Amino acid sequence: MLALAAYQDRYGYELVASISEKFHISEGSVYPLLRRLTQEGLFVTYLAESQEGPPRKYYRLTERGRIYMNDLILEWHVFSRGVNQIIEEGLGYDEA
Amino acid sequence: MTRREFIEELNALLADLPDKDRLDILSDYTEHFLIGFEKGKSEHEIAEQLGSPKTVAREVWAGYRIHQAQTDASIGNISRAILATVSLGFFNIVFVLGPFMALIGVLIAFYSVAITLLFVPFAFAFFPPLLADISENRLLMLFGCLTSVGLGGMLFIWLLRLTVWLYRQFLRYLQFNVQMIRGK
Repeated sequence: MLALAAYQDRYGYELVASISEKFHISEGSVYPLLRRLTQEGLFVTYLAESQEGPPRKYYRLTERGRIYMNDLILEWHVFSRGVNQIIEEGLGYDEA
Repeated sequence: MTRREFIEELNALLADLPDKDRLDILSDYTEHFLIGFEKGKSEHEIAEQLGSPKTVAREVWAGYRIHQAQTDASIGNISRAILATVSLGFFNIVFVLGPFMALIGVLIAFYSVAITLLFVPFAFAFFPPLLADISENRLLMLFGCLTSVGLGGMLFIWLLRLTVWLYRQFLRYLQFNVQMIRGK
């Protein structure tokens, strides 16, 4: 979620749509999550008019949010590398 | 379910939330419906993909309770935060309530030890028969009492700090639990 808004401010609907494209989630859960991330100071929100339809609430990643995101990404890389190594070793062992 | 039904049900479920939060949340979902509608989806489709207002309300409440317990530390607030988190599903009964009970148990045990140590001198004062064996050596008794009270006091202060620290850590753990998005 943090990464989705890393290079460009996003509005809620966009964030929900990009997440639910890739994972089967109940879309309603995304807004409470966005709220908590905002309360923790990882996002700030602002309203902006759009050409059509209602004004949209945009989410902007804060400096704190960016630092936190980078920590999480690093953690994820370490974790996924570990899992990949285990899978490769496991499969390699089976073939031998 | 139409937009109106969804918003009205959510509104009713969040009735006890402060107005500012409640209206903010309702406007998020109204905005979601309006944009979805513009993109050519029907209200029913949008509502179905959002999931039930009940699930949404539970998640909102859990987030709110945890936030409250963080800003205003009290036993009541952390209990409400735990209850709200537990209501999110079976997983949390095991992984939230379990560790919490264990922690409380250990804390109560340590506090009992500290309090017992602090009250040793009073025990001697109120139950003179306890003195029978060692009353000959008044000095030993005095030092014994002092040691006991000293240890009890140190343990007690250390426990208070530990409790504060555990309170914060446990809230972080709650937050981590609530931040997981569940599948459909």
